[in-house]
Amino acid sequence: MTAIGVDSRVTGAQRYSVDAERPGMLHAAFVRSPHPHARVRSVDASAVPGECVALLPEDVADLHMYGCQVRDEHVLARIARHPGDIVAAVAAPTPEAARAAARLVEVDYEELPAVFDPVEAVAPGAPQLHPDGAQSADESVSIGVRPLAGTNVCHRFRLVHGDLAAGFAEADVVVQQAFRTPSAAHAPMEPHGAVAEWDDGALTVWTGTQTPFNLRADLAVAFGIDEERVRIVGAPLGGSFGAKTFVRHEAPLAALARKAGRPVKVVLDRTEEFVTLNRHPSVIRVRIGAKRDGTLVAKELDCWVDTGAYADCGPGVATKLGYAGVGPYRIPHVRVDALAIYTNLPPNGAFRGYGAMQSIWASERTMDVLADRLGISPLELRRQNLLRDGDVFATGEVLHDVQFERCLQAAADAVGYEEDPTGKGLCVLLKGMQTPSRAAIAVQRTPVGYEIRSAACEMGQGVRRSLQLMGAQLLECEPGQIEVPAPDTASSPFDTRTTSSRTTHMMGRALEEAVGDLRAGDGERGYGEVRNGGGLDPDTGQGIASTHWHQGAASARVTVDEETGKLTVEHLHGVAYAGRVVNPEGAELQNEGSLTMGLGTALFEAIEFADGQVANANLSDYNVPAIGDLPRRFTHEIIEREGAEVHGLGETVLPPVPAAIGNALYSLGLEIHQLPITAERVLAAVDVRDGRA
Amino acid sequence: MRVELQLNGRPAELECEPDEMLVEVLGREGLSSVRVTCGIGVCGACTVLVDGDPVSGCLTLAPQVAGREVTTVEGLGGSDPVQRAFVEAHAFQCGWCTPGFVLTAKALLADDPDPSPEAIVEALGGNLCRCGSYVKIADAVRRAASEERR
Amino acid sequence: MSGGKVEWLAPSSLDEAAALRAERGADATVLAGGSFLGILMNQGFLQPASLLSLGRVAQLRGIAVEDGELRLGAMVTHRQVERDASVRGGWPMLAEAFGLVASPRVRNQATVGGVLADADYASDPPAALSALDARAVLRSPRGERQVAIDELILGFYETCIADDELLTEVRVPAGIERATYRKFRSRSAEDRPCVAVAAARAGGTLRVVVGACAEVLQHYPDICSIAGNESVDGELAREIGARYAERLQPLSDSRGSAEYRRRVVAVEVRRAIETVAAGDPLATEPGR
Repeated sequence: MTAIGVDSRVTGAQRYSVDAERPGMLHAAFVRSPHPHARVRSVDASAVPGECVALLPEDVADLHMYGCQVRDEHVLARIARHPGDIVAAVAAPTPEAARAAARLVEVDYEELPAVFDPVEAVAPGAPQLHPDGAQSADESVSIGVRPLAGTNVCHRFRLVHGDLAAGFAEADVVVQQAFRTPSAAHAPMEPHGAVAEWDDGALTVWTGTQTPFNLRADLAVAFGIDEERVRIVGAPLGGSFGAKTFVRHEAPLAALARKAGRPVKVVLDRTEEFVTLNRHPSVIRVRIGAKRDGTLVAKELDCWVDTGAYADCGPGVATKLGYAGVGPYRIPHVRVDALAIYTNLPPNGAFRGYGAMQSIWASERTMDVLADRLGISPLELRRQNLLRDGDVFATGEVLHDVQFERCLQAAADAVGYEEDPTGKGLCVLLKGMQTPSRAAIAVQRTPVGYEIRSAACEMGQGVRRSLQLMGAQLLECEPGQIEVPAPDTASSPFDTRTTSSRTTHMMGRALEEAVGDLRAGDGERGYGEVRNGGGLDPDTGQGIASTHWHQGAASARVTVDEETGKLTVEHLHGVAYAGRVVNPEGAELQNEGSLTMGLGTALFEAIEFADGQVANANLSDYNVPAIGDLPRRFTHEIIEREGAEVHGLGETVLPPVPAAIGNALYSLGLEIHQLPITAERVLAAVDVRDGRA
Repeated sequence: MRVELQLNGRPAELECEPDEMLVEVLGREGLSSVRVTCGIGVCGACTVLVDGDPVSGCLTLAPQVAGREVTTVEGLGGSDPVQRAFVEAHAFQCGWCTPGFVLTAKALLADDPDPSPEAIVEALGGNLCRCGSYVKIADAVRRAASEERR
Repeated sequence: MSGGKVEWLAPSSLDEAAALRAERGADATVLAGGSFLGILMNQGFLQPASLLSLGRVAQLRGIAVEDGELRLGAMVTHRQVERDASVRGGWPMLAEAFGLVASPRVRNQATVGGVLADADYASDPPAALSALDARAVLRSPRGERQVAIDELILGFYETCIADDELLTEVRVPAGIERATYRKFRSRSAEDRPCVAVAAARAGGTLRVVVGACAEVLQHYPDICSIAGNESVDGELAREIGARYAERLQPLSDSRGSAEYRRRVVAVEVRRAIETVAAGDPLATEPGR
């Protein structure tokens, strides 16, 4: 029985980064390019009232380029590369005055040709976004960025396993399909907000971020100061899902505060959220070959991953997307070629699933097409080829604690797939965790119990609660006696980041070490650190992709109004392998949340662009799932194994949802290649099936 | 201008401009549970109760509530049965949308002490939770209903 | 939001409100519930110099049935229309259609007068009211006039309401035997309509009004007239649906392309007619 305290979330007392305040602070508004691609000729702020401070290109001339994986971004854009790129900023006594003053800044632009599609962006003659090339960042997580000089490709990830040509020569049946996924908005309820303040050459930023240490490192690069002179103070996040990662609004805000000589705060409005960070659109071509008995022999994936105006973590996303698309199967011959490509869209970055959804959608839809051609049940085809304990994945890694078959079977059973597969679809997935990575925890005794300090960010996923529960068990006290303060780079031990569902897994291990250290020492304080080595060779895809694997599955049952294409998901089921569950309610919430977001991804979430401009930058034209969108049967399960380690759960059952629904439609003869699966696309598929198109 | 009203059970006066939205004025009063989020009345994170009925704080001009009774989640204290049910059901993740859900549920239960599952979906349909805690939110409303009927 | 000083006008009687409206004209923005005005103001599309609030005018809040005719005051909220016993008894389709707008929270605020005066193409009530042959009462010092809903709404956010006129009431005639409102959403359950179809049968006349598909409501009496006075069979319903789809010039937006809307209109018009032709008297069918 959980003790019921008064939770600040139900009383309204909870404070977020948008609530941060500093004495004497001003408020910022950004001046954003209306053009998708334009050189800034001049900026004239002479009409801005005297009480305001304007940040102009000359004010940032001494600053350096930054970027978490490729240093391709200026604090103020000298060339605007997407509509919404920040070219100047204004600070004023109130947010309203700042917005009004920002409208008075005159910017003279020279428009440049623009490109909005990743396939077009790599065609000969396409407008170049970063023609001078950009320096890859030597950040703590080495990704081995492989740009293609003279193109818009900022990273190419290749995986080569076996001999592809020989593999396809063995195949009796070969299927080739191409798929598209759109850009999508994280749409956290809390917008991006921060306060920046300088004191004697040292910068402090109060901001909701999933990546306090990456942000610190990148701001230090931009301002040319030691990391120790940058302090990031976190706050609980009002949702993030990848949106609040690396440097976003913080760099121009810090520059504005430097010029103003006072603290400056900014809170983005909802429209700005749609040009700040989105999900990578993609085009994915899958070719797969099998023997007549269903044995997979070869698979080839070509992926065009649209990272928008700046690389951000696009290279990492393209990499993960690339190997996740291989799927949890034994395939002797595999080739993957994934390109992270610049276009004149707003930057795309981390988004719950980190690229896995895109390639799993393509890959798992293709499996059902292959099953159909082979005359084998989609369930059986998968079962026959799933990786098992001790098998070697395409990256050369040997897999342990393999639970794909259990996950798949559970998903199939939930919808009665084996009794009748009509109107039903399955998807099974493998997804890696951020590797290499490092996590540390400090435990200290307090008058009430213990304090657990870490850089783990609370964004609703329940990490505070998980740390309390794990700590209570290890330290033999009540969870309520454990305090878990928000991260602060001045006092929290280093952490790679709170992403890729790695926190519970890594922090759990670091905490065990810290408690061990505390016990071994004076009982007052302990420190624990975990390092996961590894990483993939970007040219061959060989190495250690992940030190533990997220394994899961989903199933769906659908009905269709074939006159309008209106699709009803009658039942959606998600299965995640958790190893060992720490926080049962938190785990359920994570699963339910992932499924819900997966449902939106599958059915209606898409940012629409017209010449690079977001055409639906509000929560009425961009729908996110509401309670009424949940299927009548909305179920999930968390698979545990006695003695297993703790696995992250934060994003396992989002990626398989679109393919499960797409495959359910395919069982009705309706072929969908593009997300979201709108009624309009379903109706077009009905026409194709019935020979009307 | 000056707007007189009952705010969380007490007579209050709000100093505001006629074209200011209630959410901003309440924010100045320190009632930060009423949160500017979508700005178009779609998400429900700025829900307040006006004479017991939920309305959007981002679309209500402050002078419109003159003479009326406005309730925010701060006004419920912390041990309201609906708040307790949300805690017991673990019906939130990041918590941003929670005050809006709590108030909406409160209004629903005042009107319909034993809501059907359909009535719960109908009543909460206009409140968005991007973390996707809906299953447990609906559970919280049912818990609160049975608690209040007891 | 506040730029300069904005004047707040809050009359407490209809006469006073009408006089202020006539005197101030377009310089004073009329405020009913505020759910639409608020969006415009938040997005910076509107910065009123003065606000003429109708919130204190009790005469505009009535729901009455006179001579069999339903009279809805301009300040009656959607929620009240949805739940009022006389509306539900005599005009259930109207209760249904108002009850499908957005969320209960928005419906607590949005008013009958407001939804007509803002003339948003993707609203539910205008098509429903138009199919029921409702009229809006416009009052000015020049007198009172009544206009049909499809004469009231002239374009995107544009009505025939003159600068000195106030929309005070909506009147819905009696004698509707059967009516239905179908809200077709192409995306979220909380989305606005992609296609709205309202159909009503009264005194042998079939009225089918399509909303959310074009700048203004689409009602084609000549096509409806092929239904005649007799019961409409499935074939005829299909024919009317097809003709509506053929004539309509739909718009494209996030909810569907023009071509898709055309397809849905054919289906939804047919289904609406089948409901009013075959259903029980005063049939309503839950919106979809």
